[in-house]
Amino acid sequence: MPNDNCLSTSHTLATLVRRSLPRFAIFSLLWYALAGSDALSWVIGVPAVLLATSLSLSLASSSRLNIRVAGLLHFIPFFLYQSFRGGIDVMHRALSFRQCLDPGLVAYTTLLPEGSARIFFVNTISLLPGTLSAELRGDQVTIHTLDQGLPVWANIQRLEYHVAALMGETGEGRENL
Amino acid sequence: MDILYHSGTLFIVIGVLFFLSGTVGLIRFPDIYTRLHALTKADNVGLGCVVCGLALQSGSWVLTVKLLLIWLLVLIASSASCHLIASSAMQKNIKPWTRP
Repeated sequence: MPNDNCLSTSHTLATLVRRSLPRFAIFSLLWYALAGSDALSWVIGVPAVLLATSLSLSLASSSRLNIRVAGLLHFIPFFLYQSFRGGIDVMHRALSFRQCLDPGLVAYTTLLPEGSARIFFVNTISLLPGTLSAELRGDQVTIHTLDQGLPVWANIQRLEYHVAALMGETGEGRENL
Repeated sequence: MDILYHSGTLFIVIGVLFFLSGTVGLIRFPDIYTRLHALTKADNVGLGCVVCGLALQSGSWVLTVKLLLIWLLVLIASSASCHLIASSAMQKNIKPWTRP
């Protein structure tokens, strides 16, 4: 029995280190970017980085967040291209001589699990061309679109796929239900 | 150095054009939802272009990281507040404008 206990504590310690090291590295880099190369700034920097790491760990403990690097590498160009298209779309509609708007509401049921993946998905909808997340109730997302002629469903599904790949969700993440 | 500086200026001018069109949309669009579209999308791209331009002109990676961080924080804040404004408008039963 004590042996078992010892095993589990060493296991939790390992996961703690695995979870806190990337955060520690990111916050250190952030401090370096903010404070510059002055070595003396680390007198405040090291405690700040440690505090930020522990705060981030305690805040994130409720919802699992495991971002996949491959997913991120696919997501960033997709996101940049789509938000650029969104900006061009709004520019075109705002500046065109005749007002070319045909707004409407679209309902969508997301397959993403509750928590950070769904929140992230809802927030990025607003940056796609012509769509804006108006309401989130459970897994029901109400989307406002600038133009009902746009392929809203196809765009949203593509975004959902990208978010799932980013968050490492493959559909089996519904164990909370 | 010179070509970096001038391409940075080009990016900033493009960004300002996006900001301008977002503002025109804010004035011209008919209701709260369509105005939110104009603000969030055009301004995010506009700020992205301005940040790229300034990063090209700065010539230091520390400043570039700072600028990218500003853009990321604005992206998060604007998409979250956009969703909150839209959802509170939905709860108040404000009907979206539709083509007559």
